[in-house]
Amino acid sequence: MATIDLATTSVRDANGLIRNYGAEGEDVVVINPDARHHIGVGLVHPIRVRIKGSAGYFCAGLSDGGQYEIDNNVGWGLADNMLGGSVVVRGNASAIAAVAIRGAEVVVHGNIGSRAGQVMKEGTLLAKGNANFMAGYMMYGGRIIILGASGEKVGQDMTGGTIYVGGKIDSLGTDAHQIDLPEAEQNEIREFLDRYEISFAGRLQKVVNAGKNLRYNKIEPRVRNVPFFVASGKSDYWNEKVQEDIHVKSIIGRYRIRGYGTSRPLPHLSDLAFKHKISLQNIDAQVIDKVAMATEVGGRNGGRPISLSMPVMIAPMSYGALSKSTKLALALASKLSGISENTGEGGMMDAQRQMADQLIYQCLSGRLGWNIHDMQRANGLEIYISQGAKPGLGGQLMARKVTREIATIRGIPEGIDLRSPSRHPDVLGADDLVIKIEEFREATGYRIPVSVKLGAGRVRDDIKIAWKDGFDFVELDGLQGSTGAAGNEVLEYVGIPTLSAIQETMDSLDEVGGRDDMPIVLMGGIKDGIDAAKALALGAHAVGIGTAAIIAGGCIACLQCHVGQCVVGIATQDPEHEKRYDTDVEAHHIHTYLESMRWQLAAITHSLGHSNVHDLCRDDLVALTPEAAEITRLPYAPEYRKVS
Amino acid sequence: MCGIAGILYKNGPVDSAIGRNLIAMLDGCQHRGPDSTGFALYHEPKENLLRLRFFIEDGPEGDKTLDRIKDKLADFQAEVVEEQRIGSTGRFEVRFKGDLQKLAYALEHVAKVVSIGESLDIIKDIGGAHDVDDVYGVDDFHGTHGIGHVRLATESDVAPEASHPFWATGFADIAIVHNGQITNYWKMRRRLVKRGFEFNTDNDSELIAVYLADKLSQGEKLTDALKTSIDDMDGTFSFLVSTRDEIGFAKDHLAAKPMVKFENDDLIAIASEEVSLNKLFPGEALSTSEPPPGSYGTWQRSI
Repeated sequence: MATIDLATTSVRDANGLIRNYGAEGEDVVVINPDARHHIGVGLVHPIRVRIKGSAGYFCAGLSDGGQYEIDNNVGWGLADNMLGGSVVVRGNASAIAAVAIRGAEVVVHGNIGSRAGQVMKEGTLLAKGNANFMAGYMMYGGRIIILGASGEKVGQDMTGGTIYVGGKIDSLGTDAHQIDLPEAEQNEIREFLDRYEISFAGRLQKVVNAGKNLRYNKIEPRVRNVPFFVASGKSDYWNEKVQEDIHVKSIIGRYRIRGYGTSRPLPHLSDLAFKHKISLQNIDAQVIDKVAMATEVGGRNGGRPISLSMPVMIAPMSYGALSKSTKLALALASKLSGISENTGEGGMMDAQRQMADQLIYQCLSGRLGWNIHDMQRANGLEIYISQGAKPGLGGQLMARKVTREIATIRGIPEGIDLRSPSRHPDVLGADDLVIKIEEFREATGYRIPVSVKLGAGRVRDDIKIAWKDGFDFVELDGLQGSTGAAGNEVLEYVGIPTLSAIQETMDSLDEVGGRDDMPIVLMGGIKDGIDAAKALALGAHAVGIGTAAIIAGGCIACLQCHVGQCVVGIATQDPEHEKRYDTDVEAHHIHTYLESMRWQLAAITHSLGHSNVHDLCRDDLVALTPEAAEITRLPYAPEYRKVS
Repeated sequence: MCGIAGILYKNGPVDSAIGRNLIAMLDGCQHRGPDSTGFALYHEPKENLLRLRFFIEDGPEGDKTLDRIKDKLADFQAEVVEEQRIGSTGRFEVRFKGDLQKLAYALEHVAKVVSIGESLDIIKDIGGAHDVDDVYGVDDFHGTHGIGHVRLATESDVAPEASHPFWATGFADIAIVHNGQITNYWKMRRRLVKRGFEFNTDNDSELIAVYLADKLSQGEKLTDALKTSIDDMDGTFSFLVSTRDEIGFAKDHLAAKPMVKFENDDLIAIASEEVSLNKLFPGEALSTSEPPPGSYGTWQRSI
């Protein structure tokens, strides 16, 4: 048995040692832990780790198979996202014990803090003492056993799983109710208690989901829908789309869900022009070879950066919102064009991992499909705070798309209208976020970049936090960003336009001196290489494309992504519909479109007199509208609107 | 966006190593806020002797500020006993018997006041706990109790005056450190301004300090003032308040901001994270507890 002394060894070094001992199968004792954070994070071998004292935040987090024993207390996020193995805590555990676990056994001899077992999927959390408020908050599965008092609002918004309470039930949460506990089940719990040598003489009470909020109680009627290009083509306030909207709401009495992004006319990159005349006739056919476009993103903390053949990424979109065939086409296209693909919310598929050369793995609030093994095989990690289409909300996936396979990879019950939490269990401020980022770095040995996805809202403050908290890059998403499902009100009216977002970002980075130090990947309505060139000229380091890639791969923009019966097999999980999508053909289309972006970027850069795409600058741009000029502080030059 | 810490020796040797202990505790949670660090330090009061600290600009501009302060002190018949310019501040000790609030408001109009009190001295500046100690010699401070803060600047600039602790402007010896955000700030502030109170900054933490000080000056007990603060303040918060003889805490109902405490026969220590408490007792497994959501409490030193 090896001993690690945290009085003389940093946690980072200690975790490296623990992982090495794990690989060799040797148990570890940690002395002088003194409540330090991240002890034992990232271990994936079944060794025993004994911690002689208190541990801080995320003890045993992002791990699989270890058997941890902590002699005293633990801080927030005990056993975060643990897949298998066990944790025994002799003292108390702070807030969100066993957050997002997917199979581990977590036993706390003392009390547990608030929101214990938040978004957990499988496994067991046992507290011998009392729980604080909202135990089992938004849990999807597994069981929580509280031998003392339950705390207020136990089972708040739980979807699945079971909560057993030995003491007083202080109050039940929304959509939770108490039901009879069969003797056989009572005995199962006793066996578990015996295994951990915990005696309990009383009787348990059983709390489960009451099933009233799992699905929208009224579904939207099928109407002859008005497609995106019709909806967005008119700015009048009485039009066909408004009429459709009023009809539907007169039946369902709530907000509507739809796919795609805002349809309102907003100031955008199309309101900018390049200052110098570009003559397409004179462009050299070999221009791509004359312009440097290779771009690295995310090495500022020593991790291996994402390496792009041009400053373009595929935007995060989930397997779930999109069919497997579509995700694989995106992965293949990204590889063919030498750029990166992003998993989005729904977890990582093996085939996707193999197909994409560079894959960014996204972590959302519900921790759906999130696990240590996929983290360790990703090329980059991304913490989703929000997205341009719906800042302030979590992902949404309607029941028809929550098939058995999707439910399994995400760790949730099948066939619910999935509304992911709007905020992370363990990120309630910039201070917690620092500790969260550090946990990700510990879990992946500081090898890969950790980025943040931000929907554009309070950009000025958010960017400063991202910079200070030490993210490697930011994926900044403006109001024009699209999604597979969101409330129409949020899609149309929440957030600020992409153009405003990039300008505020640059101003904000200038205030803290971080402009050259924080790569911004701009997304939200970037449709081609021309938009990309403008974004770079405004200060972005790269761009992300989602909608454009989907359209290149056959999307007809009918706005019905949420319904799950996509006629071209993109936004569906129905095998019959998915048959219509040919992965190889569409991957080729997406790749070919990406190559057209490459050509556009090269041609524009070259024509403006630069040899490197990153030399594009504000001096290359003018504003075509007073509004765009006001937002960007570029010179207003209406004469550029004339078509010669 | 911060970390907080407080320590009080209950049976009071009046020369406890408050400075050294707070430096250790804040160093322990510096990851929560690397931008600036501050200390509210308390020692035994001396009769009619006021301690004042101001932010002073560098160079000749600062000389002018010091002159303005001295003129104003003279106007109020406050006799300067000691004067020191250190770091980005100027420190005074003066003999003064008049209305402290009037003096404070008058001084506020000629300089940026950091703190005024008979026991209290606030030291805060940009950088980590050890950086601030290097300039101001916090380590040498011995006294009765103190609170401290590490700050991650998000909505306002990285500047000494935006750092914590905040003094309850106009009220001697009351200071606050706060982690969180008061969302009904302007509404609460307007109510207090209407009643004649002045504010030194736009920081929500100063509001909590003035709110509590107002209640105390009306004869309320600190524990009662803390109780009402939980319902009156909207937002997420965990804060510590210190007066001449007490430390108190309050935590909002959602408990989004952490707080953990340790108590033995001699002392009470409270901080955002247990790692700070362990800094006082390296290698020990401490029996700590977390104040529940929506709770408050106070500890008094025996005098």
